[in-house]
Amino acid sequence: MIEGVPSVLNLTEIAEREKEEFGKRVYEVIKELGAERITFCMQCGACASICPLARVGFEWFNKKLIKALLLGLKEELLDDPTPWACVACNRCTEVCPRDVSPFEVMFAMRRLMVEEFAIPTLAIEALRSLYEHGHAVYMTGREARKKVGLPEKPPSTDSDEKALEDLRKILKETKLASLGLIPME
Amino acid sequence: MKYGLFLGCNIPFNRPDVEVSMREIFPALGIELDDLRGQSCCPTWGTLPSIDVVGWCAVAARNLALGEERGIDLMTACNSCYGSLNEARHKMLTNPEIMEKVNEILAKIGKKYEGRAKCRHVAWVLYKDVGLEKLRESIKFSLEGLTVAVQPGCHFLWPSKVYPDKEEDPFNPKVLREICEALGADAPYYSRLIDCCGMGALRSTDPEKSFKLVKDKLECIKEEIDADLIVTTCSSCLIQLDDAQEQLRKKGEINFSIPVFHLVQIVAICMGFDPSRVAGICVTPRDEVIKKILENEVR
Repeated sequence: MIEGVPSVLNLTEIAEREKEEFGKRVYEVIKELGAERITFCMQCGACASICPLARVGFEWFNKKLIKALLLGLKEELLDDPTPWACVACNRCTEVCPRDVSPFEVMFAMRRLMVEEFAIPTLAIEALRSLYEHGHAVYMTGREARKKVGLPEKPPSTDSDEKALEDLRKILKETKLASLGLIPME
Repeated sequence: MKYGLFLGCNIPFNRPDVEVSMREIFPALGIELDDLRGQSCCPTWGTLPSIDVVGWCAVAARNLALGEERGIDLMTACNSCYGSLNEARHKMLTNPEIMEKVNEILAKIGKKYEGRAKCRHVAWVLYKDVGLEKLRESIKFSLEGLTVAVQPGCHFLWPSKVYPDKEEDPFNPKVLREICEALGADAPYYSRLIDCCGMGALRSTDPEKSFKLVKDKLECIKEEIDADLIVTTCSSCLIQLDDAQEQLRKKGEINFSIPVFHLVQIVAICMGFDPSRVAGICVTPRDEVIKKILENEVR
């Protein structure tokens, strides 16, 4: 990294990863990204029967996404919003008879999409806010706190410079930095 | 007994009346609170958990370490924080490689996490540490004559393997119902009791689909048990059920109004704390039901 120049996109790292992943089946990448047991899925559908996303009509809900990934589909899935709508409720994890944790597949898919920069603007905003304030949800207006008689700032990174600096140091050690998803001064 | 009060984001900025409720009721019930100075976002699902497993665990571990350094567990009123912190802890405890990488990162800020401190949920602290008997003895006003629709919320229940406290059957949760009954209410089962409220990523990705879930839930509560109020253990459910309800009314999709409270708020009101401070922020009006509760003085 060159001093004074914010790392926006670390193309070298992405290029290396692409080279490494070339020829790898997509489910292998998904396994590395956290869904270690994806290949144990037997398509029983227990996860889909209980998934809020399946109920309201998202296209690539857990069972279907797992099948697609096991078949080697990837490009077709990158623009789909389903993984980003997952509420991480983990009903699927609870009922899965093969301990696949379909939630982990959904989130590994998010992580794969992030590597391809298929990430929603709102997620980028939350990450920026996390880096800037230590809170993904943050409000500058403090009327609500004042109204109920609380100090303007909570006892968090919001009122503790050293703690915020510590958190930023941690964030700089994550993929958030190596992928260059947000500017980190 | 002492806990680190883990605030998260939605509570201190969006619904600080929930923060006031916790700060009032727990000391009054004999539970000391530590501010966990320097705490941050848990991290929530749309941030590090969506990017990098080790990064997720590292941010969670810094928060958990703040408790561990003080020899105490954390306590939260936000189901997302409860889920994210405990899932991260479960990953670190079951995967030594993740734990090692996390501690390499934490070493850069002079911290470490050994996996001891965990995050408890306020509802479980009320249920187990305080106990229903003491809770019953501590209230000045009761919910007698009122019907409560309980909303435990997803991350209070699943995946049960990562949580320090577990329902006997996470698909037929009883704890929140029992606490509400201890406060004097009727808290019956209804068929959409464990349904998702549609908040979080679902709401930001597709509001229309999110509203379908919350509308189904609210209509079920109205038709099956005609509840006087909804009580939830989750700050996200609180915001969704309160705020989306108002939007559904404005669109003419529902024609009723059911006030929504976080569990700690309803406990605070029953214990006699000032409703304008412990339950002063909402979209769906609460005044009428609060008035009813305050007429129900316990002896």
